Amino acid sequence: MYNFLMFLRGFNNLKIGIPRALLYYYYYPLWKTFFETLGCEVIISGKTTIDLLDKGIKASVSDICVPIKILNGHVLELLESDVDYIFLPRMMSIRKGEFFCPKFMGLPDMVRHSLPGAKDKILFPNISSLSDDISDDKLYYDMGQRLGVTDKNIKESLKEGRKVWNEFRRFSKEDYTALEAMDYVLEGKLPEKQVEDINITIGLMGYVYDVYDDLVSMGIVDRLRKMGVKVITFEMMDEVMLDRELDSMKKRLFWTFSNKLLAAGYKFLKDESIDGIIHVTAFGCGPDSLIGKLMEIDSEKLGKPFMTIRVDEHTGENHLQTRIEAFVDMIYRKKSKYIKEA
Amino acid sequence: MKVSFPYMGTTVIYKKLLELLGHEVIEPPEPTQRTIDLGVKYSPEFACFPLKVVLGSYIEALEIGAETLVTSGGHGPCRAGFYGETHKKILENMGYDVDIIVFDGYKRDIMGTIKKVLRVKNGKPWRTVWKAIKTVYAMAKALDGIEKRIGQMRAYEIHRGDCTKAWQKIKKSFDDVKTIEDVERIEKESHILLDEIALRDVPDSDRLRIGIVGEIYVVMEQSINLRIEETLGSLGAEVERSQYISEWIDFNLKPGASAKEHELYILKKGEKYIQEIIGGHAKQTVGHIVDYAERGFDGVVHLMPFACLPELVSQSIIPTISKDYNIPVITLPIDEQTGAANVLTRLEAFMDLIRNNKKTKTA
Repeated sequence: MYNFLMFLRGFNNLKIGIPRALLYYYYYPLWKTFFETLGCEVIISGKTTIDLLDKGIKASVSDICVPIKILNGHVLELLESDVDYIFLPRMMSIRKGEFFCPKFMGLPDMVRHSLPGAKDKILFPNISSLSDDISDDKLYYDMGQRLGVTDKNIKESLKEGRKVWNEFRRFSKEDYTALEAMDYVLEGKLPEKQVEDINITIGLMGYVYDVYDDLVSMGIVDRLRKMGVKVITFEMMDEVMLDRELDSMKKRLFWTFSNKLLAAGYKFLKDESIDGIIHVTAFGCGPDSLIGKLMEIDSEKLGKPFMTIRVDEHTGENHLQTRIEAFVDMIYRKKSKYIKEA
Repeated sequence: MKVSFPYMGTTVIYKKLLELLGHEVIEPPEPTQRTIDLGVKYSPEFACFPLKVVLGSYIEALEIGAETLVTSGGHGPCRAGFYGETHKKILENMGYDVDIIVFDGYKRDIMGTIKKVLRVKNGKPWRTVWKAIKTVYAMAKALDGIEKRIGQMRAYEIHRGDCTKAWQKIKKSFDDVKTIEDVERIEKESHILLDEIALRDVPDSDRLRIGIVGEIYVVMEQSINLRIEETLGSLGAEVERSQYISEWIDFNLKPGASAKEHELYILKKGEKYIQEIIGGHAKQTVGHIVDYAERGFDGVVHLMPFACLPELVSQSIIPTISKDYNIPVITLPIDEQTGAANVLTRLEAFMDLIRNNKKTKTA
């Protein structure tokens, strides 16, 4: 059926939908370049809105975490538009002996069997690689066959994708957020410099799909920056350095991104230039429930301010604003008192 | 060294293993509301329910004098594999001086595992260890066989509670086991005891069979799943669980391919819906539902701890399976907020539905 459609349209117009959710915020530069070099048209779903979230909630089981509900909303939106396929890789592992959260690993199964009309439209290559770089061509050959492209094509397109993604990561590490880095590598837009005076540096722990989804985190990065805070997140840090942070742990967590978060958290705890830590987590996030506890215990030991912000579909904007204002004020006072006494 | 272990299902099995190795065993009390309250108080709010109950049961064991806790770890990717570390950190933070021995998959850390084995081995000769393992394995098999039989009988007992009473008695009598011969003798006696229970005669066409699937802890631990087997039995349904400890041992610990056959068969059944093993028992859950449907069961009860990561995936898929195989499935998330009356009402309604279903099918 789809092969026939492809024949009618000519391959050039094959439309691939990518939901603006979950690891979109980490791998989009790779995927977009990859598909476009292959000659497909890439369509991303719009920004997360209340409306979209509502649709997602209706399509999901009630106890599941907000990011998955949001993803379901995005997939539904793509299903309504006329994309030929939706790209939703099965993220298994990007480090030896570690995995993704079970919900990521079962994501294609969940979407295929619970959203009407999704079953034949999902492209889900199994991604298991040894590093963050997931552009190994072998992982995508099966998908290539389904799309009717040659292995050689896949290989060349991935090479392009890899280039852009590496650039994206490099730029990210210069203290730019993932969104800014994405704008830079895909559209050549240079981010604006932070204009306010910087007094305080805060380490922000949170998954990319929580921190950069404006509906979930309500633009926490911008809010903090407006208060004159410099924000550091885990993806601004070097992977190898982060990895070493966890060497002291007897047993690492099983989830790569949670390990990154925790490693960043430990680094923040030790780093004197970081004044406080904020942990943004979505309601019902399993791995975060453990990380939160570990951080809570350790931050108390080391005497560093630590705050958890748990968001869900009901969280109000004022509540968030009040809490981060109070947190920043507290740090500010602590710091100026310290300077006076010295 | 006073040793204790997490409370799950038929605890006499773990107790026996440690006892045969010459440890002084502190048996943790069966979880009660107090256990749950303690666990909830000191656990992370959004941790899964088993973590909280096990923590509560550790605290209670420590209160009555346990010094060392022996437990199994895991290789993820579900949170259960990290319980040991989390518990240790929380207990230390509470001021308990406790030693937790966590058995992880031996491939992760071979030297560490050997060290742990030597500690638990307690200086006994390997021959004793081998004998202890063999005895306990036989015991697990025997107890599971008996429990399966009780699950079927309970629906038809004339005097309500006979089976449960007998089961308590049987568990107690297994406490005296010293050798493998004892196991055989007590198993025989237990079956005789069960033979004596008066049962109603029910024609085959009226039998209702329910399968229980889900996460291992809430499926096996009757004190926190609102005694689901007894409840369903009293509502007139035969019950079979998807998880028995001897099957877990077969799949996870026993070497050799033949022992794994059953589990692999179930996993194969689940393939259609969940392709990869995603941690916990999600794939098994899905596989078991398909298996129960094919074996002609009348319904399935799906138990999961609130916000259990892998079971949420299976929960999302269950409506599709239910439709594909025309089998009713009810999902019950369990946590500290679960109310007995609520669950009972839902189960009663579910049973009514199944009964009607069956009547219209046969009529």
